[in-house]
This record gives sequence, C-alpha cells and structure tokens, in this order.
Amino acid sequence: MVAVFILLAMTGPWIAPFPFDQFDMRARFDPPGGLHWFGTDEFGRDVFSRVLAGAPYSLIMGFGATAISLAVGVPLGLAAAYYRGLAGELVMRAVDVMISIPPILLGLLILAVTEPSLWKTIVAVGIVYIPIMTRIARSVALGLLVEDFIEAARARGETAGYILFREILPNAWPPIIVETSLRVTFAILLGSALSFLGLGAQPPLSEWGLMIAGSRPFIEQAPWIGLAPGLALCVLLIAINLLGEGLREFLDPRLVEGGRA
Amino acid sequence: MTSPPILQVDELSVKYATSRGPLTALDRVSFAIPQGRALGLVGESGSGKSTVLLALLGLLGPEATVAARSARFRDADLFGHGAAAVRGDRIGVVFQDAAAALNPALTVGLQVAEPLLVHRRLSRSAAMRRAIELLGEVGVRRPGEVARCYPHQLSGGMKQRALIAMALSCEPDLLLLDEPTTALDVTIEAQILDLLEALRSRRGLSMLFVSHNLGIVERICDELAVLYAGRVVEQGPTEAIFARPQHPYTKGLLAAVPRVQRDRMTRLAPIPGGLPDLTQPQEGCGFRSRCPFSVAACVLPQTLRPGAGTTLVRCHRSAELTEEAWPAATEPAAARRPDTGVRIIEGERLTKTFRLGGFLRRLRFDGGFPLLRPARELRAVDGVSLTIRPGEILGVVGESGSGKSTLARLILRLLDADGGTLRYKSMPVPRKPDREFRRRAQIVFQNPESSLNPRKRVGQILARPLSLFGGSGGEDPERHIERLLTLVRLSASYSDRFPHQLSGGEKQRVSIARAMASEPEILVCDEPVSALDVSVQAAILNLFADLRDRLGVAYLFISHDISVIAHLADRVLVMYGGAAVEEGKLDEVLHPPYHPYTEALLSAVPLVGVRERASQRIRLPVEAMEPGKGCRFAPRCPRRIGALCDEVPPPVREPTPDHRIACHIPIAELESMEPVLVRRGS
Repeated sequence: MVAVFILLAMTGPWIAPFPFDQFDMRARFDPPGGLHWFGTDEFGRDVFSRVLAGAPYSLIMGFGATAISLAVGVPLGLAAAYYRGLAGELVMRAVDVMISIPPILLGLLILAVTEPSLWKTIVAVGIVYIPIMTRIARSVALGLLVEDFIEAARARGETAGYILFREILPNAWPPIIVETSLRVTFAILLGSALSFLGLGAQPPLSEWGLMIAGSRPFIEQAPWIGLAPGLALCVLLIAINLLGEGLREFLDPRLVEGGRA
Repeated sequence: MTSPPILQVDELSVKYATSRGPLTALDRVSFAIPQGRALGLVGESGSGKSTVLLALLGLLGPEATVAARSARFRDADLFGHGAAAVRGDRIGVVFQDAAAALNPALTVGLQVAEPLLVHRRLSRSAAMRRAIELLGEVGVRRPGEVARCYPHQLSGGMKQRALIAMALSCEPDLLLLDEPTTALDVTIEAQILDLLEALRSRRGLSMLFVSHNLGIVERICDELAVLYAGRVVEQGPTEAIFARPQHPYTKGLLAAVPRVQRDRMTRLAPIPGGLPDLTQPQEGCGFRSRCPFSVAACVLPQTLRPGAGTTLVRCHRSAELTEEAWPAATEPAAARRPDTGVRIIEGERLTKTFRLGGFLRRLRFDGGFPLLRPARELRAVDGVSLTIRPGEILGVVGESGSGKSTLARLILRLLDADGGTLRYKSMPVPRKPDREFRRRAQIVFQNPESSLNPRKRVGQILARPLSLFGGSGGEDPERHIERLLTLVRLSASYSDRFPHQLSGGEKQRVSIARAMASEPEILVCDEPVSALDVSVQAAILNLFADLRDRLGVAYLFISHDISVIAHLADRVLVMYGGAAVEEGKLDEVLHPPYHPYTEALLSAVPLVGVRERASQRIRLPVEAMEPGKGCRFAPRCPRRIGALCDEVPPPVREPTPDHRIACHIPIAELESMEPVLVRRGS
C-alpha cells in the first residue's frame, strides 16, 4: 500500500489527467464524475490531479522529518546514555522540556519566527520529534551498555564513537526502526496540520493539509474538495501504520533469537 | 524400606512439539521415593532434570505431551482428576530463583499463609500466625517482623527461607526442590542445606532434589538418578555411585569436577561434544558419540539393568568397564617458567567507593534553601594490594558483594580508583591507560551470553582487536583468526557464525580468543566458568592452564568456587566486604593458620568426595549489623574476640613471608585450629 502511494507520488505528474494548477473557470465545483474523478474546486482545478500532486509533499514531509529526527535524535540519545552524569542529565532534561510542549504548538513556535515554506515545515516537524528519538535511543543504549561485550570493547581501549556506533547501534536498530515507521505517520499528520494552519506549504502548492484548509468555505456545496485529500491522508497513514506493525512482527522474533540475555 | 514409596513414577515421558518435529525431553523415566528419603536428579543442563519436576507438578505448557504408565503420590494419581489439590496440599515446591518466585507486591507473611487459606481454609489471622511460626522454623530471626516485609526488603537467603516456609505451610509429605541454592552464596547455601537436612530428620520429609552440583547432591541425597538426554543412565545409592560410578557418563561427570585435594598439575578430564539432537529418535545409547568406551553394539537399544550392587545402569558394557577409569586428558602440562622477578601488575592499597543515590535524591529543601545531603557511600574495594608475576595465577575468592568484580575493573582501569597506585611492569598506569597497557591486559567475563555482540560474526569479533592493535608481523588476518580459533580448540568454520548459533562453552571460547588476540600478558577472568556445565567447565579450565603453560599468560582469576581456585591458582586472595582478609600461596590458604572467614568458606563449600567435614561445620550468621571501624568480618565472625574486633582495624600478620592474614587473633591460635580439609598426602 505504501509502495502504491510512493509509486503514485513519483508517477503522479504523468498519470494525472490535468496539471494540478490548471484553472478552468467553466468547470468550477464540478462534482466527481467521468472527466474529473474527484470533481473540481473553486477555481475549476481537478481535485484528483491535485491529490496526486500532493502525495510527494506528504511523503517527503513524513520521511524527511523523520530522517531529520533520526539523524539528530539517535546520536544524541546514544551519547546521553554513554555520558551519564551531568552532560547526559542536561540533554535528557532538555528533552523533557521539549516533550512537555504539545507538538503542534512547538511546530508553530518554530515556524512562527520565520517565513513559512514547505522545507521549513519539514525541519520543524523533524525538530519536534527529535526528543522522542533521543529517548528511545537512550533507553535502548542504556540496556546495552551494561552488556559485557561493551566492557570488553572498553578494555581494548575503544573510543566512545566506536562503541556507540559499531557496538551499540547495530543492536539498537530494531526498536528504533519500528518506532521510526510509526513516527512517519505522526510526522505526516503534523506536517499537514501545520499546512492546514497556513504555516507549511504555501498556495498554490497542492499539499493535502493546505487543500483541506482551502476547501473549508465550500464544504457544504462541494465536500469532495476537502474529502478527497482527507481520505488520501487517512489511507496513507493507515498503510504506514500497518507497515510499522508488520516490521515490528518481523523484527521481534529476531530480537529473541539474537540471544540477548 | 518396607513401607510403600511415597512417590512412584513409572515410565514418565515428555515430548515437546517443535518446528523441527517432536523433541523427546524425557524418555520413560522411572523412580520411587520411599518415605523420608531423598532422591537426587543430576545431569547437565538440557538433560531433563527440571522437566521431571515440572511434569509432576503439571506445570508444563500446552506444547508438551506428558505420558506415564503411572505416577502415584501415595494413592493419588498425579495425572488424574483432583491432582491439583494433592499437589498443592501434600507436595511442596522450592524453585531456584526465590526473587522471581515471590510476588513483589505482597508481604512475605501473606504469601507463606496463602496455601493455608486455599487448602486448609484457615481464617486469615490463624493463617498468619501459622506463617510466622513457619518462618521461625526455617530459621528466620524475628519472624513476626519479616512476615510484614515485602520480598525486596529481604536478602537472597531470607527469600529462599521464606520460599521453603511456603512449601512447608501445608505440612507436605514430599518436597520438590529445583536447584534451591544455586543462586546463593556458599555460606548461605550451606545454611539452607543444613536447614533442609534438619527438616528432613525432624519431619520425616521425602525429597526430590534436582541439582547440577554434585557436591550438594552427595551431601543431601540417599539415592541418585543420573539423567542424560532425557534418559536415566544410572540409578542407585548415592555413596555407591560416587565411590564406583558404572555408567561412562557418570564417570565422566565425576572426573570433570575440580577437587580441592587433587594434585594441582593434573588436568581435568572434560567430556567432549554436546547433547545429541533430541528431535532425532535415539535407538541406541544417547551418550555413545561422546563416550570413549563406545563400540559398535552401542547403537542397539540399551536397557536399564542391574549393575554391581543395587545400582541400575543403562550400559551394556558396564560389567567389562568396572575397572576402567575415565581417560585422563592427554597433554601433560609443560614445565613452569622460572621467576624472572618481573611483576606484571602491582596494585597498592587500591580503593574504590561508590556513591549511592543520584544528585536529585540528595537534594533537600530545608528552610527554603536547597541543600545537598552527603551521599551514602559504599566502599566496594578497601585498600587491597596485590602483585601478579608472569605466568602466575592469582585466585580471588569471596562471596557476592565482596568487591571481587570491582577489583578486576580497577586492575584494568575500567573503573577509576579513588586511592592507591597501579603499576604495570613497574611503570605507573595513568588514568587513561595507553595502548600498550590495553593490549597487554585483557578480560574474560562470566556470562557468555552477554560477552559477545549478538550482531557480529565470530570472525568480525576476532578481527577487531587484530586491526586495533595490529596482528603479529604482517600475518594475514584470516589466517590469524584461524590460529586464534585453533588456540581455543574451535574449528576455522566458526568464524562465519553468529553468537546465538554457539553453545555456552563455545561462546566462552570465542570470548577467550578475543581476549588472546592482542597477545596479553595478563588476563583478568571474572567468574569465567560459573555459567557453564561441569563437563564444559573442565575443558575451559584446561584451556586456561594451557594458555598459561604455553604462552606464559598470567591471570587474575575470580571465582566464588573454591575448588576451581584450588585447581588452578598459584596464590589466593580472600576478600570479604571489600577488604583482603588473607593472601598467600594456595596451600597456605587452604590449611591453618588461616583467617576465620577462609575457614568458614572452606567449611561451607560442598565438595565432592569430602564427606568427613560434617563433624565441624562452621556457619556464619546472616549479616545483621553494619560493620564498624574495625574488622569488616567481625559482625559475622564465629571467632570474634570482643569489642576489639569491632573497633580496631585488624593487624596484618605474616606467619610466613608472602602469607598475610588480617586478624586480631594471634598466629599461634590460628595455627592450632582444626583443619577443615585433610592436608594432602598426610
């Protein structure tokens, strides 16, 4: 399902019946039908084409933001586990503070100070999820740090970097991957929500959250304008969630088989 | 012996359904326990010992198929209707891990009383009163207070006592014990065994005792059943089996046990190989692939038949083999290296104190100002000095919490010492040691499961120290890894395997190979054989001895098992509560004069073939008070002189040069103590 979405997102421009920003003043508010599958909006743009064009934004948003939070959060978490004491404590308290702020608010805060744009939304969502990644990486690493093979590495005089990235990280991947897949859905949702609030992608881009926001005044005459991107969002999120579930099932027996004491 | 047996099991079989087909865990095991007798079940891990017990209790999961011609407890069928009531009421069980067997959310008293509430329908207050009585009976001091405690407030020994009290609550006729002392310190273990013996004679209890520890079984049990791969291979009176084992497997097991009194230079005889694949049906003898006496006829089915005396043996050659001993390991030990006067490691008054409680816990707001309370301190290692010369094995013994492992980490500078100096070949070792020190001082851990990175292949694990320190003289890394694997007697094909594809003994070998990769001069071994079966332990101990003899590696060898230390060590350091109470050559430490704690340790360890010690058992009270400024051992010392011991640190006495005892008792008096062990050769 996720693969279908990614495929659609990549091939969207070619299979879409109309360019996503083509106005057609004669066909405003057309209900879904043979020519316009999902109908048209207030400017006569084809909703189906716009949904298709929006797919890459959502996917980029989800995966990009998660990648950012992974890239920063995981090393930070590992380091916090390794350098317990004052440094680790400071990191974790900072993380606590960030977690205590509602994600949307935090996203708003980050975006409010600069001019809104799509990539800034990605960065903002990424930053919002850094603390959670840090926490997970730290808790997994703390469990692994007491294992004897870490002590053996220290007895060889290995550097902290080697221990963290070569000894611990390979063992920490399974839980992190599972968490990541779930985090992607949250990131997509948060990104769309921020766009909905006008702080993400800017018109005329056809980001889904933005489309839903734009459809609000016409919800009674032309519900399909908002419904189509909303449904697309739902199906994508469910698909990614199922993928995460599947990953979890796939990885868990391996964890047991790995013979961790 | 005329009374009918209290428990009679006839052809008990257990099969598990696995993805590779049915696994035969138990194959027609039969035994009977007469009233008031104790039967021991021994064997390596995986032999099916615990399965017998769980099957009798009906505790095996749904994937197990239990079948028996009959299993009768008195007149009740253990697999029939109403068996659960009989099990709970008339049969008591004690499991190995007391910490896991007690519910952490209920008070100990309530848990002891619970069977009474269920089976005897006593009122709550009557049950509690009885529970307190029972706790008193199993040797808990101030049982009333203990009954109101939660499990986490009790020590391991106390929890085990509470568990025994629970098992005794309905006054059972039979006690099933599954390794009841394995998780405990030797001095505590000895007390629990004393208690079990006392209960047996006082109440006429019968026991089914599952253990891998042959010394304990020899002490407790009248009869013995030796299990191998789900089959009883030898069954008979304990004394007869220990004196004259008839099945080759029993011979092997007994030969593999390190003994205090055996000559130190002899090698232990390990049993090669491992358990057969139990999913394959075994027609013939299951032990034949590991047996040095096997012949072609061993593939035929074997029956349990009468051997010499009243013993039953499952071996068709047992009569021919009566005089055959288990073959000794072949390689003779090489000549020892002369003392060159070099000292690899010298530690002087090493001290390490841990602060308990974090920063936030210590923060107190008194009168509005945040104040830092002083942290509670735990002195884990207190002024311990030691010297290790090339090719020398310094054994460190002591109970858990005596600071052995902390000392090991101080020596390797894995922990920063708070005080004292550490020198490597007369050069001080800095806080951040240089590569040379890291290369020459390596470590082997207790738990083979956790000492290898589960995501790396054996080859990768061994390649890392080679690339880090550089192999020896431009040798091809692959060849070098092969050589390392050969050194620990593994074939080169192991380098492609992941740790979870190895057995415990094999993992430990890889772990040793990794430590040896950098060609160390000293190996710190922290309980390296404690997690292994006796037969595997023997092989690993031989390997350590080989490495010393061939490569001149020195060891700091930590163990709680004094027979392992006695087998391997040249000199011994006895630790108690973080301090060294005695240090000296092996023979000097094992015989008087010695420290009262050493005496207690020697007296407590269950040793195979040392029955005559029973006359003078020394038992230590469970630690009650915090030690004062004086001798740390004073609160538990059976030979405490008086207030002097509590207040003044003991002087170090040297009966001979290089033998130090930290005790207030004068040497002459220590010397006159009756020896726990009979001196070798006299």
